Amino acid sequence: MLSTRQVEVLRAAVNRIIPADEFPGGWEGGVGDYLFRQFERDLKDQVETYAQGLDSLDAEAQSVYGKPFDELDAESQDQLLAQVELGDVKTAWTVNPGAFVQMLAEHCAEGYYSDPTNNGGNRDGIAWKMIGYEVSG
Amino acid sequence: MTRYDAIVIGAGAGGGVAAGVLAEAGKRVLLLERGRKLSFADVPRDHLRNQRLSQYGHNAGPDIEGNPRVFQGRNASYVIPPHDPGYSGNAACVGSGTLVYGAQAWRFMPQDFRMASIYGVPEGSSLADWPIGYDDLAPYYERAEWEIGVAGDRDAMKHLPSYDKAYPMPPQSPNLQGQTARRGAAALGWHTLPIPLLINSVPYNNRPACIRCQQCVGFACPVDAKNGTKNTVIARAMASGNCDLVAEAMVERITVSDAGRVTGVVYINRAGERLEVEADVVVVSGGAIETARLLLNSASKQEPNGLGNNSDQVGRHLQGHYYPGATGLFEDLVQDNVGPGATTATCEFNHDNDGIIGGGMLADDFILMPIAFWKRKLPPDLPRWGAANKAFMRDNYQRVMDITGPVQEIPSPDARVTLDQNVRDHLGVRVAHLSGTTHPETVRTATFMHQRAREWLTAAGAIKVWGNERPGLYLSGGQHQAGTCRMGDDPSTSVVDRWSKVHGHDNLYIADSSVHVTNGGFNPVLTIMALSFRTALHIVDTW
Repeated sequence: MLSTRQVEVLRAAVNRIIPADEFPGGWEGGVGDYLFRQFERDLKDQVETYAQGLDSLDAEAQSVYGKPFDELDAESQDQLLAQVELGDVKTAWTVNPGAFVQMLAEHCAEGYYSDPTNNGGNRDGIAWKMIGYEVSG
Repeated sequence: MTRYDAIVIGAGAGGGVAAGVLAEAGKRVLLLERGRKLSFADVPRDHLRNQRLSQYGHNAGPDIEGNPRVFQGRNASYVIPPHDPGYSGNAACVGSGTLVYGAQAWRFMPQDFRMASIYGVPEGSSLADWPIGYDDLAPYYERAEWEIGVAGDRDAMKHLPSYDKAYPMPPQSPNLQGQTARRGAAALGWHTLPIPLLINSVPYNNRPACIRCQQCVGFACPVDAKNGTKNTVIARAMASGNCDLVAEAMVERITVSDAGRVTGVVYINRAGERLEVEADVVVVSGGAIETARLLLNSASKQEPNGLGNNSDQVGRHLQGHYYPGATGLFEDLVQDNVGPGATTATCEFNHDNDGIIGGGMLADDFILMPIAFWKRKLPPDLPRWGAANKAFMRDNYQRVMDITGPVQEIPSPDARVTLDQNVRDHLGVRVAHLSGTTHPETVRTATFMHQRAREWLTAAGAIKVWGNERPGLYLSGGQHQAGTCRMGDDPSTSVVDRWSKVHGHDNLYIADSSVHVTNGGFNPVLTIMALSFRTALHIVDTW
């Protein structure tokens, strides 16, 4: 499982992948709940990738900005994630940086936009309300 | 040993119809289905595990563990699970795909049965005419439309010869997206028609009308208004008292006598026991991949390469449907949450396209699950994360519509199902190995159809249109899989005769899309059902 520190970095990253506006950011919208559930299910084999990717992201933040990732302002976090996505990194990553960001984006969307009932994210169907997807029947 | 008049293998579109017809004709039928019998509550509305988006699994079988196939890539082969796109999966349960489908109920066109005569045979393809024509099938299309239950508008089907009998139910009214599509087509001078659906638009067969919900294709129906084989012909087979349905029964092989005559089957039940059952007639309805696999797994002294396979035809010509299409962004709302979603089609481009072999139908699409929309439909120039991505979802989920449709594939003999030499399923039965690709002409048609979809969206008022302009060459199959035991008069180039009886056998039939010589530019399920009615009634008539 992820360390407390890794979860802090994860939460900060998730909230930039899906930032809060008048609708909740990714973490509050249920992405964390979704991920923890999936880490014991379909994403079991990716937990180690997450652990290494989050450590690398944090180290990258230290190297570029001299601060842990979750203490950066939103703009710097976005800039860093964009650079990492392009593979433009200053530190030695133990996982493919671009693939890590893309994987994170994919999983965040799954947690935010899929059904709450079977997947545990999309808290109270908030993402569906946001986009106007109504469910009846 | 237990003995039946007939054993039907597979309780999907074809097998369900065959079991219904045979049982109601007084035959004692054993209907074997490898999947489970599922109620609505047994099929989760899980947006990441369904037959529409199977990111992490399925909701209607086959089980993810223990049912692999092998996919032949360019340089290596891969053992893949049922929810891998290369698996070409279809639901494994009582009713099979008809439990969770979108239920488009198209007749093929007369031209679809005569592709080689009309267009010639492109080099490297195995394009051929069917030995039967539209007129042979028309009475059975009608029977399927009435007995399973189709809602549609006969008078709008201008691409077909006139029907003897109208549909039993009127078409569903168009939603906002359908109205938008109809306006666009009118501006182009294209004829549109309401999509015929195997869904009750009004109460029918003692079941209610569709409630226009948003989770149709990929899921079971919450009010049982979707008409599949489970709630129609299989229910009737059971009511006749003549049919035993055994779910979770995997047929290992078809058995033959010393003389090579089919005698029955060996199947493995839920408890893992191997049971041998005899019958006068065996009907195989496993779908194009599993039917081929079973025949190949049933070698005999007379047919050492598999039943019906002395001409090396079983498993070849595997085809499905390329689905070219385009996505359009509109200023106004187009998605009003009135399901199932697809209401409007055009058949302007199924044939008579300059320089193109065949073509395909185009239609608006079913309401997309939000996560499927995110994964598949966002503009390619939109960032995959961040504020802009979220804003696009928020602002435009209801302003985007899709135009798409199935392309008539040009078959290749090298697109095929064989038995894998190494891999077996959890029961020890050798699994299907899929290899080859469709013919390049299919790609050309798909590219052409993509442009028509763009035109339609633009004429309907789209302010931005995107989609895959250059589809690649790959193996098709999927839920519309077909062609692996093709029908023909010549045993050297086909597997079954014009009654879907396996060449060289007098009591072995196939009732599924395996027998399709070509697969039309339409969803194939009504053709599967119609052919199965025709085959099963022939079995009864010639008993």
